[in-house]
Order: sequence, then C-alpha cells, then structure tokens
Amino acid sequence: MNRSVPVIEGEALGKTFRSHGRTVHAVQGVSLAVRAGEALGIVGESGCGKTTTARLLLRLEEPSGGAVRFLGDDITARHGHALLHFRARAQLVFQNPFDALNPRFSIRRALSEPLRNFNIPRVEHAERIAAVMRRVRLLPAEAWLERRPHELSGGQLQRVVLARALLPQPKLIVADEPVSMLDVSVRAGILNVLRAARDELGLAAIYISHDLALIRYVCERTLVMYLGRVVEEGPTAEMIAAPLHPYTRALVAAVPVPRVEQDRDALPIRGSLSETPDGAAGCPFRLRCPQAFERCAADAPALREVASGRRVACHLH
Amino acid sequence: MTLLSIRDLQVHYATSGGIVRAVDGVDLDVPAGSIVGLVGESGCGKSTLGRALMGVLPGSGRIAGGSIMFEGQNLATLSERELRTLRWRRLSFVPQTAMNALDPVQRIGAQMREVLCERGKLSRTQARSKAEALMRLVGLEPKRLMDYPHQFSGGMRQRASIALALALDPALVIADEPVTALDVIVQRQVLDVLRDLQQRLNLAMILVTHDMAVVAYACDRAAVMYAGQIVESGPVQAVLEAPYHPYTMGLTHAFPDLRAKEVALVPIEGAPPSLLHPPQGCRFAERCPFVQKRCRDESPPLVQVADDHLTACWRSDIAATLREQAVRPETWAA
Repeated sequence: MNRSVPVIEGEALGKTFRSHGRTVHAVQGVSLAVRAGEALGIVGESGCGKTTTARLLLRLEEPSGGAVRFLGDDITARHGHALLHFRARAQLVFQNPFDALNPRFSIRRALSEPLRNFNIPRVEHAERIAAVMRRVRLLPAEAWLERRPHELSGGQLQRVVLARALLPQPKLIVADEPVSMLDVSVRAGILNVLRAARDELGLAAIYISHDLALIRYVCERTLVMYLGRVVEEGPTAEMIAAPLHPYTRALVAAVPVPRVEQDRDALPIRGSLSETPDGAAGCPFRLRCPQAFERCAADAPALREVASGRRVACHLH
Repeated sequence: MTLLSIRDLQVHYATSGGIVRAVDGVDLDVPAGSIVGLVGESGCGKSTLGRALMGVLPGSGRIAGGSIMFEGQNLATLSERELRTLRWRRLSFVPQTAMNALDPVQRIGAQMREVLCERGKLSRTQARSKAEALMRLVGLEPKRLMDYPHQFSGGMRQRASIALALALDPALVIADEPVTALDVIVQRQVLDVLRDLQQRLNLAMILVTHDMAVVAYACDRAAVMYAGQIVESGPVQAVLEAPYHPYTMGLTHAFPDLRAKEVALVPIEGAPPSLLHPPQGCRFAERCPFVQKRCRDESPPLVQVADDHLTACWRSDIAATLREQAVRPETWAA
C-alpha cells in the first residue's frame, strides 16, 4: 500500500446540533489523517466532541461541513449501500462490552453475523473465526464459541467484541474508550491485543479516551480537543513530557499516578467546563485559562505548527 | 485511635443458585481521621462491604456473621431503628453517581434543609446558615442552593452530594467510587475537596475504588480486596511500593503510570472465582503465578508481615523475591 495515502482522513470536519433553540458546535474544523500501522489518540473531557469526531469519520453522523476520505476516496456524500464496502473496512469497538453483544446469541453466532452481513463465503467462516479467536487469545476457541455472553467476564467479552471487529479484515479500527468499563487487572490484556493487531495487520487505529496514560500506551500521536476544536496535536510522549497548550498542561497535571510521591499542587485551570464563552469570537478556553490576556477574548487562535510535528492553537506560542 | 473495627464480617446474598458469600471474613480497621482506600475489581465485594457498614444492603443481602465496632457499638447487630439514628449523624454515604443521592425535582437547598431540620433538628435559620457553610466547604457558591441538580455539572453534583453527606458532622464517610464517573480534571478537584475536608474536619473515610492511582493520590491507608476477602492492608506507601500479596503486585503492573518511563503493561489473566462456590484454598490461586500446592488446599490467614501491614499469602516470607519476579511480564504470561 502507498504509505503516503492515509487510510482515513478528515478535512475541516464540522458538526452542529440544534439544542433548545441554540446552535451547538459539537465539532469545528477538525482535520486529521491516520495511515496504515499508525494509531492516533483523541483526548478531552466529556462533551469535547471526541466521540462525535469519530462518528463523523465512520459516517455514522452526517457532517455539517468538511470531508471524509477513505484510502484517498471521498466518501462524504455516500450513503446506504454505497458505504457497504467502507463499513466492512472501518470497524468500531464499543466502550461497553456488556451490551455490545446480543445476550441470546452464542459467541459463534455473534461472530458469524458480520461475516454474513458482509457477504463472506460460508466456507471461509470457520477458518476466519478460528484465526480471529487466536488473535484475541480466547483459546481453545471451541471452549468459548458455544458460550453465551453472560458466561463471560468483562475482559473476555471485550475480546469477543474485538474479534468481531477484526473479522471483516478492516483497514481502520476506531476504539471509543475500549477499556474504561473493564477491571484494571484485565485492561492491559485488551490493550496488548489491540497493539499487536495494529502492528501485525498494519491497521490504522483511532483511540478515543479521557485517559492520557492509556493513550500514551497505544498511540504515537494525539489530538487534544476542547469544546469541539483541536487545541493541540503532536507526538504523544513529547506532548505529555512538555505540553504546549494550557489546557493540555492541566489535563496532564490532573492524572494521578500509582505512587505515593506525586505532585498535589492546585491544577493550573479555573472554573469548570460549564463556563463556555458566548459567541464564536476568542479562544474557547480563555475563561478557564490562568494565562489568558486581552487578545484571547478578541480572536480565536488558529492551530499552527510551532515545532516539528507539534501544532497548537494558543496565542502564547 | 481506631474509629471503626471490622472483624470476620460475613455478608450473604440469597440467590436461586444458593448463597453468594459476597463478603467472607473481612477484617479491617479505620483509624480516626484517616482515608482508607478499599481497592479491588468488580464483584470483589467492596461495594457490598460499604453498604453493609451503612446497613443498606440491597434485597436479599444480610450480615451473616462477624462484628462492626464503631464508636462503642456493634453495627452488625443494631436494629434498623438504631441504625437510623446513626446514619447521617455519625456515618454517611457518598454514592458513585451523585444523581442517586440527589432528588432531581428538589432544589439543592431544600434537600439540605430536609436533612438539617428533620434529621438534625436545626431551626430553619440555623439550617440556612449551615447549608451555606457546607456549600463553601466543598467549593460551591451558596447562591447555587437555589438550583436544581440538573443545573449542575457532574463535578458540582458530586460536590453537592459530599456536602449533603457532611451535613450532620459525621465521623465516618463511606464514598463508593465517588470520582469514577468524572473527567480527569474534575476527578482531581473532587479528590482535593475530600482531602481538604479530611484535614479540616478530622474526618475518617472509606474510599471504595478500583483505581490504584486514586488510592495513591488521596488515601493514607490501602486495603486490597479479592473475592470477598481482604488480602492485604496497611499504610498506602507500604502496600503500593512493597506489596506482599501477588494480587497487589499484579495490580501495580497492570496500571499505567503517566509520569514514569513507559513499560509494558501486564494483565492478570483470568477472572475471580465464583462466590457461590468459592475454592477452599487461596482464592487468588487460580490466577497466581507463584501458586503452590498448599495454596490450593488451605486458605491463608490475614497475618502481620511488617509494621502495621497485613497480608493473606502463604508465600509472604519470600515477598521480596516474588516482587522481583512480578516485575517481569513473562511471570504473568498465561
């Protein structure tokens, strides 16, 4: 595959909703590209637009503006049957494995369903299912396939959900908080399976999470979103070591670590997410920013490259 | 001084399949003025333990044995009426979702007044000034007493539910996953409120959580629960940095540390045993990389392994060696 063509590309994506007579800009001017074998993280608080961005990319939500390209092909205007090929190749892993599977279906049936939906010849089913069960390490496969969801733990269910997503041999996996519902002891197992699948199959992956530690573990590059806009973008490790945007700085500082010796200073942030500036002018973060100055209220900072591979939307840079 | 002392506590749920021993022989002490983090995975009995202390077990749950000594009384044997006089006044509860603590159709102020006047026997004027003080205590503006819960953000609701729990100056607060549903910045702010209250009011707290980092950040002591039992407890630093139980060791490697060098995360393969028919030996034996025959045959007692540090593991005498091996991912490979 040509490395220069991204698997998935979003260009200036926008989504507005009408709520109580007001227009809410859930996503504004978000551009991103993920190539084969890459993993991109999207972080931010609830309501920042990270899930909506993923839904726009997966064509589950109609964009109000911008374009979605899959392997260089513009799919923004496609609907229904014209998207079938894309649907097989762009798979979503859900947050809650406890309600992602039909409780009446055996695991075998849950896995056969997508193969039928995407018109995979019947003769291939058994072999494909066996291969994917090996990949998610539910072995021996026969011991699991006849069970029903209630007989499995959360971690085991999420492996089945992963298996189901991998069955149609996708090029893109989007995982929305893939481990947040799972016990800490089994999270690492799921993340390791996802990492291995991406490396070995050359998948493009997008992880959505509010957990920076998780994002760092699986994503080389990360977008930070605040109120529908990308405020910072860059290599994950560099961004965590030296955040540029004041919001990213607060986000990094807020993450507790499993050690007693740690920073307990007050966070460099004010107020709460409910303090949203009215109108489109100015920086969306200015009311919570400890470093805001006059210009921040006057005009919104654009996302600009300030160092190699690092982009930030802030007048301080 | 020990404020709460739990000994050999048993909590059973009657189900169609038999008796589920959700809490099975728990020993735990809570010193006055300290925050004890109760960690464990879902289904380990940590929420059941919290509810048993409050005397608010759901449906078929009941205390089947053991004692809960709190300020000279055994909560396990008190009648519902006697417990009701202690709830709010001496011990209170903060649930995971603040919406469960707050009535959606009543203003925050009215809910506080109800607790302060009905339960606390304060006059309306006294109640108003106390409610305002409580709001300030948790970092909310007193004028927001006029708001309904839906007008609050998630973090503000959790602050309000903490204020409500503190209304009648309890000595002990049981908080069940109080920050789990919150975003990381709000989570940090709520944890800071809890720590600040502990220091200002000399409050004792049991903080139920699955998150080791929350325990490290906010707690003085840690108690690790597995399959209905406490497997390790002690000062938070000792438990996190020099654990004696293999389950605790596993948990510390399963968790990412944002400010440390990146290392491979190692899962603890498998799942906890059914509490309907728990195994006769150590309950962690099935998942433990250091398991021996004795572990499967006999259940290890919770014993002192270091100063103020308890563990239930037959191999705690060689814990230092196990710790070294536990660091290596291949140790945990299934």
